[in-house]
Amino acid sequence: MSLVIEARDLRKIYHMGEEEVHALRGVSFKVVKQEFISIMGPSGSGKSTLLHILGCLDRPTSGELLIEGQNIQKATGNQLAEIRNRRIGFVFQNFNLLPKATALENVELPLIYAGVRRRERRERAEVVLERVGLADRMAHRPPELSGGQRQRVAIARAMVTEPTFILADEPTGALDSKTSAQIMELFAELNAEGNTILIITHDPTVAKQTKRIIHLLDGQIIKDTAGDGVSA
Amino acid sequence: MNLAEAIRSAVWSLQSNKLRSFLSMLGIIIGVAAVVGIVSIGLGAQASVLDRVSALGSNLIMISPAPTLGRGASVSTDAREVFTVELAQYMEERAPSMKRVVPQVQTSGLLLYEGTNLRASMVGTTPAYKDVTNYEVRAGRFLHELDVDQSTPVMVLGSRAAERLFGEADPLGEQLTFVVGDRRYSFTVVGVMESKGQVFMGNYDSQVYVPLSFVMERILRTNTVSTLMAQAVSAAEAGAAVQQAEFLLASRLGTTDGFTITSQDEMLETMGEVAFTLQLMLGAIGGISLLVGGIGVMNIMLVSVSERTREIGTRKALGAKYRDLLLQFLVESLVLSTSGGALGLILGALIANAVSRFGDWPASIELPALAVAFGFSALVGLVAGVYPAMQAAKLDPVVALSYE
Ligand SMILES: Nc1ncnc2c1ncn2[C@@H]1O[C@H](COP(=O)(O)OP(=O)(O)OP(=O)(O)O)[C@@H](O)[C@H]1O
Ligand SMILES: [Mg+2]
Repeated sequence: MSLVIEARDLRKIYHMGEEEVHALRGVSFKVVKQEFISIMGPSGSGKSTLLHILGCLDRPTSGELLIEGQNIQKATGNQLAEIRNRRIGFVFQNFNLLPKATALENVELPLIYAGVRRRERRERAEVVLERVGLADRMAHRPPELSGGQRQRVAIARAMVTEPTFILADEPTGALDSKTSAQIMELFAELNAEGNTILIITHDPTVAKQTKRIIHLLDGQIIKDTAGDGVSA
Repeated sequence: MNLAEAIRSAVWSLQSNKLRSFLSMLGIIIGVAAVVGIVSIGLGAQASVLDRVSALGSNLIMISPAPTLGRGASVSTDAREVFTVELAQYMEERAPSMKRVVPQVQTSGLLLYEGTNLRASMVGTTPAYKDVTNYEVRAGRFLHELDVDQSTPVMVLGSRAAERLFGEADPLGEQLTFVVGDRRYSFTVVGVMESKGQVFMGNYDSQVYVPLSFVMERILRTNTVSTLMAQAVSAAEAGAAVQQAEFLLASRLGTTDGFTITSQDEMLETMGEVAFTLQLMLGAIGGISLLVGGIGVMNIMLVSVSERTREIGTRKALGAKYRDLLLQFLVESLVLSTSGGALGLILGALIANAVSRFGDWPASIELPALAVAFGFSALVGLVAGVYPAMQAAKLDPVVALSYE
């Protein structure tokens, strides 16, 4: 099994004036290909901090993060941008779509930064939008879509670059329970098709639907258990 | 991200907030319109002033008594008495740099022909007038020596005067009546002049020309003339001619006051200076508008960057590099300012056109002026965009993403 993520003793310290806030206190774990993981914990446990580091948006104070064996500790800002672009697919709680752009244009956006030509961009964006069930909504703009549809657009956008893993931050946080279930179902399907997925959540019902749950408390992993999603 | 993508996204973002985009362009629009309008009007005015002064004739020197302006009234009165036909002959003989000195008197009255009447300005002069002013006869003839010698009541019409009085009909040989106060004078039309167009001072075409002696003796009953129009031997001798005129007049009057001598060159120079100052002033207004416009663009770009912090964070998460965001916002600022520039060009051209239509001179809308004004708008956009674009590009993605 190929290693996708290897976190070695990640620590993050925020300085608040005199005070030091230890948001992460030595987090180590490994993620292999096609895993479906949720990272769970109460408010303030360090979930967002860990997400930012895993997403190469921020650097740990100490420790090492390897993505597909590449240590990102020494990467420059531009190299991190490239890693985010090529290897990581982000899904946000509030979708973070461009409101004036169509679904298709939103999905094309990461390919623009990857330097993919226009025609190929369009084709690839269409394929993933069809995959998430939005073949008939490609020309719609986010305000014309329901919450669930918006999150599907965002998931299509995360997948379009064929990243090494998908990193979702409370992806169902802004959705009702029925829509949440549908989105989680989509994640499960995408995982079955070979995608590696990490979901950050504080919601146990969401976490239960994944295959593995990493429990975070006070910046440390306290439990690493199997979820119900194993059978999926 | 390449340039085409950046432009597309800039147009998007500006279109999505049309009113605000337009308002922030306003300064640039006004600045560019001002620059284009001014330069076009200025160039046109300059060209037309040059034309009009040259249309007066060639190497002309206008000599006239100074207008009485309170101070030295008695001196001026004296000076006016010196301006006679005899002085013209005297100057022509004594000043080696002067080829001709043509005396002229002016009056005005009502011209009557059958049912039509026309208020017209009448010039009493000699045959040489036609030569020094490069004036061409269209039909019939100009004044002859004999007309002046014998004070014959003949009249030559400027083209517009002829048209007004006779329309399509042939005026040659017709009888006209000239009314001044309660006196009436009858003239026979012997010629019509070619059109000369608008000329520096007054319009030749709407004047009528009669023998000098007739106006002096019969109408004005004076022995002085209003102006001496001298022609220098050559352009090179125009300066010398002015000095000779000054010397001769001063020695007659015993003073250098009481008369004015203006050469055509001086008129050109004065007009050029006036036009230049005007252009400089208006150009400065345009420049200030552009500066203010630039501040407006910078302000709106800063607002835009802070409003779109989350978007910037999202773009960074999706892989946008420093360079990509810098380009995006710089291009947006450029598109904003050059759109304003383009609108300004149109507005400026319209203004120049309107002014030339109502102000009776041709505006000359020239490509280099347009290019320079447009270039300035682009420069303003670039300078105004750099700082906001850098702010956007160096945002920390974590901070940007969690921005509310
Ligand atoms: N920029 C920061 N500066 C200072 N302290 C921070 C900063 N970001 C997070 N923290 C602190 O680090 C700890 C972990 O925060 P984090 O946001 O990772 O928690 P979380 O698990 O995402 O919580 P929630 O579920 O409420 O989003 C908290 O105590 C928080 O106050
Ligand atoms: Mg959080």
